[in-house]
Amino acid sequence: MYTIGIHPLPKLITGVWYVSLENFLAQSLIGLYKGSFYWLLAVGLTLIFGVTRIINFAHASFFVLGGYLMFTSYTYTGSFVLSLVVSMIVTGLVGVFFEILLIRRIYRVNPIYQLLLTFGIALVVNEFQKIIWGKFPKYVDIPEYMRGGIMIGDVGISYYVLTIIGLGFLILILVHFIINTSLWGLKVRTVWRDNVVAQVLGINPNAVYTSVFFLGTALAGLGGALMVALHPVGPGLGDHLIVYAFIVVVIAGLGNIMGAFIVSILIGVISSLAAWLAPEVDILIVYSIAALVLLLKPEGLFGER
Amino acid sequence: MLLRNVLRDVNVVLIVILAFTLALIPLTGDRFYIYITSLFMVYSLFALSYNLLFGYAGLLSFGHAMFFATGAYVTALFTLKVFRDPLVGLIIGVMSAIPLALIVGFLSLRHTRVYFAILTLAFGMLIYAVLVKWRSVTGGTDGLVGIPKRGVILDISSPQAYYYFILVFFIIAVLSLYIFIKSRWGLMIRALGANEDRLPFTGHSVLTIRLYTFTASGLIAALSGSLYSILMGVVTPDIAYWTFSAEPLVMTLLGGSTYYMGPVLGAFIFITLTTMLARFAEYWLLLLGLAIIAVVVGFRGGVSGVLVLAVERLMRSVEARGVWRSLGLKT
Repeated sequence: MYTIGIHPLPKLITGVWYVSLENFLAQSLIGLYKGSFYWLLAVGLTLIFGVTRIINFAHASFFVLGGYLMFTSYTYTGSFVLSLVVSMIVTGLVGVFFEILLIRRIYRVNPIYQLLLTFGIALVVNEFQKIIWGKFPKYVDIPEYMRGGIMIGDVGISYYVLTIIGLGFLILILVHFIINTSLWGLKVRTVWRDNVVAQVLGINPNAVYTSVFFLGTALAGLGGALMVALHPVGPGLGDHLIVYAFIVVVIAGLGNIMGAFIVSILIGVISSLAAWLAPEVDILIVYSIAALVLLLKPEGLFGER
Repeated sequence: MLLRNVLRDVNVVLIVILAFTLALIPLTGDRFYIYITSLFMVYSLFALSYNLLFGYAGLLSFGHAMFFATGAYVTALFTLKVFRDPLVGLIIGVMSAIPLALIVGFLSLRHTRVYFAILTLAFGMLIYAVLVKWRSVTGGTDGLVGIPKRGVILDISSPQAYYYFILVFFIIAVLSLYIFIKSRWGLMIRALGANEDRLPFTGHSVLTIRLYTFTASGLIAALSGSLYSILMGVVTPDIAYWTFSAEPLVMTLLGGSTYYMGPVLGAFIFITLTTMLARFAEYWLLLLGLAIIAVVVGFRGGVSGVLVLAVERLMRSVEARGVWRSLGLKT
């Protein structure tokens, strides 16, 4: 099948595996999708760090919370888009709740204690999810108008996956424009550059921090809500995902949003191709890349902001 | 005179009291208490080794489980495949931590704070990935079963015998770690934890001190892992997952990271809570999360800090009433 009009390489049967251009393209597209997953997971984390200098250990828990909220609100309302918005906003509000109640107290202390506090918050959020939604995984169905898909070689890729890849790009552009062109973005950049000058200018840094926290956790909630249609959410998922979120953000350079996007996509494509070519070592590859980058360039590939 | 100085040290007194209390536990003959106390000693060692990094050197690690898991797996593999004896297996398991600590330490200790935390997380997960994926040797997610308590040289198959086996290593490790901390090295480690920018002014290499600390910490963690694998008879890759590294962290924070015996108290609280609450509620992690938040926001000294504060207040009120003087105990 020559679905997308590119003449395939002759199918090589080398005895180990066979590589065709179609499969390569399909795996790359799956890699793009995986990368968008990592990007949606990491964007809020790196945004929050960039402005408030807090490494939010609870970030993946908020991501999973978005998925759970999506499940509940989709079950009740039946509207996919409305549920996305609801779970995004509610997750953001939960993030703001913790920011005002706890995280605000520790902006000036040793980063170790910041990491510990957000770790405690992660445990609390995870356990509340278990209390509310139980121990069994929850998922939602892909909306009907997105059920179809394209075939590349013998791999089918649904429109929903393509939409997520597109939304990943869209979020990058939106975040970039909000930070760099809007009035609120100007305030955020002022606080980021010099907290004292910002106060002299009449900007309340606490309000800016809270709004950044809202945006960051809301983006996590949106990501989780989008992903719950493809990956069920359940207990322990947050523990698993936070490692990937950290790896992406740290490889890119803490607080570097554009870097986080590039690194997410790179890791997604590399791990997807690795899983296809050498399934035994796929999870080793991500950790090895992370360790290698941190050893050679501890400030991250694109530098800390 | 020396003995009097030693006995005036509150930590030594605590260690002696603890050792005697622990030695009496098997006399109850209750298998459950013996098992739980064995587990308590294993976790205490793990938490103490963690606090050497966290409380003294000021390094937050999220990969400490790699030493625990390495000790456990090497002991398991050695006793199952090479030489069937728990004591030899234990020694080999503990020694295996040295090369691992030197390699990982050398690579990750150049970075501090958040980067160190995340680098140790990545290395820890690398070890986890190896344990899960290298099926032919490690048994994958099933782990290794049937680690012997009865060996060629040593037979510790009864719970009491194994209890005392752990106790001996527990006391040796607790005392030697305390001597290490009280030594010149320990002083430098604490100086480093207090101010890492000024220590180089004294002419010492920060990396060397950190590397020694990391290795010492890894050795004790591997000892606890080896003891754990022989106690359980089974090892699974769960003990290498990063959430397992968070357990000694929680114990240290609960007990109080600024006190030498804090992690031991933390391990005691942790074991008591998990065994008691696990029967009543499955959501005890919620309590742990709240406890961590309370410790970070309010009581950095943990439970030990609260206790010390209470004792000091009591002493002060006793002193104010002149009780000591009337008894002729204080001039």
